[in-house]
Amino acid sequence: MTFLDIRGVSKSFGNVAAVSDVSLEIARGEFMTFLGPSGSGKSTTLYMIAGFFEPTGGDIRLDGRSILAEPSNRRNIGMVFQRYTLFPHLSVAENVAFPLRVRRRSGAEVSRKVEEMLALVRLERFADRMPAQLSGGQQQRVALARALAYDPPLLLMDEPLSALDKKLREEIQAEIRRIHRETGVTILYVTHDQEEALSLSDRVALFNHGRIEQVGKGRDLYDAPHTRFVAGFVGHSNFLDCTIAARRDVRADIVFPDGSGCADIPLHAAASSGTAARLMIRPDRLQLAAPVPAAGPGIDTTLSDATFIGETFHFAVTTGWGAQVNVRLPAGAPMAHEPVIGERVRLSWNAADARLFAD
Amino acid sequence: MTVTDATTSTAPHAPSASSRRAARGFAPVTPALALVVFVFVLPVLALLLRSVLEPQPGLQNYEAFFASTTYLKVLGNTFLVAGTVTVVTVLLGFPVAWFLAIAPGFWSRLLFAIVILSMWTNLLARTYAWMVLLQRTGIINRTLIDLGLISGPLPLINNLVGVTIGMTYIMLPFMILPLHATIRSIDPTVFQAAALCGASRWQAFTRVMLPLTASGIAAGALMVFVMSLGYFITPALLGGTSNMMLAELIAQLVQSLLDWGLAGAAALILLTITLAIYLVQLRFFGFGQARS
Ligand SMILES: Nc1ncnc2c1ncn2[C@@H]1O[C@H](COP(=O)(O)OP(=O)(O)OP(=O)(O)O)[C@@H](O)[C@H]1O
Ligand SMILES: [Mg+2]
Repeated sequence: MTFLDIRGVSKSFGNVAAVSDVSLEIARGEFMTFLGPSGSGKSTTLYMIAGFFEPTGGDIRLDGRSILAEPSNRRNIGMVFQRYTLFPHLSVAENVAFPLRVRRRSGAEVSRKVEEMLALVRLERFADRMPAQLSGGQQQRVALARALAYDPPLLLMDEPLSALDKKLREEIQAEIRRIHRETGVTILYVTHDQEEALSLSDRVALFNHGRIEQVGKGRDLYDAPHTRFVAGFVGHSNFLDCTIAARRDVRADIVFPDGSGCADIPLHAAASSGTAARLMIRPDRLQLAAPVPAAGPGIDTTLSDATFIGETFHFAVTTGWGAQVNVRLPAGAPMAHEPVIGERVRLSWNAADARLFAD
Repeated sequence: MTVTDATTSTAPHAPSASSRRAARGFAPVTPALALVVFVFVLPVLALLLRSVLEPQPGLQNYEAFFASTTYLKVLGNTFLVAGTVTVVTVLLGFPVAWFLAIAPGFWSRLLFAIVILSMWTNLLARTYAWMVLLQRTGIINRTLIDLGLISGPLPLINNLVGVTIGMTYIMLPFMILPLHATIRSIDPTVFQAAALCGASRWQAFTRVMLPLTASGIAAGALMVFVMSLGYFITPALLGGTSNMMLAELIAQLVQSLLDWGLAGAAALILLTITLAIYLVQLRFFGFGQARS
């Protein structure tokens, strides 16, 4: 059942459209991530849910009721910001107590809840510290405790870990996952780090230019991107210029600039024959072999670079028309013949792993 | 995570031992220090001496001051006006400083220019301008009469009302500027955080805004109060002869009565009170600087 329902929401600043017609349904208890490049409208969407911006169109419903008429302080939504926003004049415990105090909860309830929340983020020993005496990671954990202290059904997080170093980020990501499991709170998380998005969330909404390009499990975005943007943003990919020679329903035959071709590639756009397109293949879905005529799709290339980086081999090969293609092979996999730079190699793939996007 | 990283993170806020040590090598500033002693400390010492030596040695000047209801009333007036001016400048200055901090570029620059220009305009000119506005036939009285709000002119000048109005205007920038600096140093996202935490506008103001600006308010209030205590020109021009302030009294004692002893005593009483207030402020708000 839909818990948070974002219906055709738009927001313009002057004549800049920051968010255009975004629709999204989020289930209770779901962990949804907004992923996308800088300026793609992730924060703006989050801020409309928080009530800091008023949408110029559309509706936002929480649990079946529109929340647009409610001011921020009545929405009962928790939020952790990118910047450190603890109240600098209040101790850690008083920061966590703040939402309960403004709700005029009894002293006993406040102290019980503060204790519970500080235990949740494992900062019991820091209750009496002032925010300035905490590290960035600790401040964000206190901010998380403060945002959860009043048991909001929805928690918004706008790049809460972007100011932290990688190790700390991973540590707190694990905590966020644990807290999500333990509390069952619905989380909307904004990031432009795809690894973070894929590792944390149930589903990812990929933003681009104020629109959602695709929503789905991380795996779906990686394996079955709907658009060229999604294919390029999530994971590594190679794009090869080609022309559609013939088209049959959702499949097409293509011709590369050097005249070689491939048949039966799944097509993801309305494109007629004769139009330019791009073939996308993940570097880890490619195989290299000696240049013998083989069955299945493939092209003849020259090996231009080879690097061994522990778990994988990175190869770069150059096609007959000068395009570079990256190949990643697991170092453990047996290779019949290890090619040397300058050698001709046959690049091949399974037909199902390639995708075709119209230009 | 550890206690050590917490202490290093606070270190920049506290004056370190090494910076205090560096301050000891003050040979190069000796001439300047000598000048300060000569110009500021000697006159005060001279006044102190005259207050206990003239007309004969003893504390009779101080006794006379505290025994006279007239002088005590002057002291009372001084506190009343300085206190009122301070309260009013806080009440007027806070919204202005807040507006300066959040208004879009053009409006905040315009308002800032007005505040600064008024500070730079000659004090006498500004005080005379208020005389024109406040007198019986001035704009304020005439407008109020024309609007039918009052039947006869209000006594706005030659009394403490006029002094308070004039001084509030003169003192406003001294409240607005430190307060503006303090408000500017607050990250506005804390107010968004407060709102999402459930705080109403009023709660966000009393529980977040006021505590975070308390040091700025204290700094501005101290400045205004202390300057008001010793102010001379505005009370002399806008005040009446019956309700003097202390600075006027001192001027009169020296110029008309040539009573240097009593004038010195009055001046030192004012100085002592000022220093006492300053020490109280230091005790509660440090140096009154904005937290960063
Ligand atoms: N207050 C504002 N006034 C004017 N334009 C704004 C405002 N806030 C955002 N924008 C514009 O709206 C667009 C979307 O911004 P938004 O902050 O939502 O991006 P984002 O996806 O969160 O990016 P980032 O990853 O950099 O945080 C941008 O073009 C931005 O310049
Ligand atoms: Mg953002």
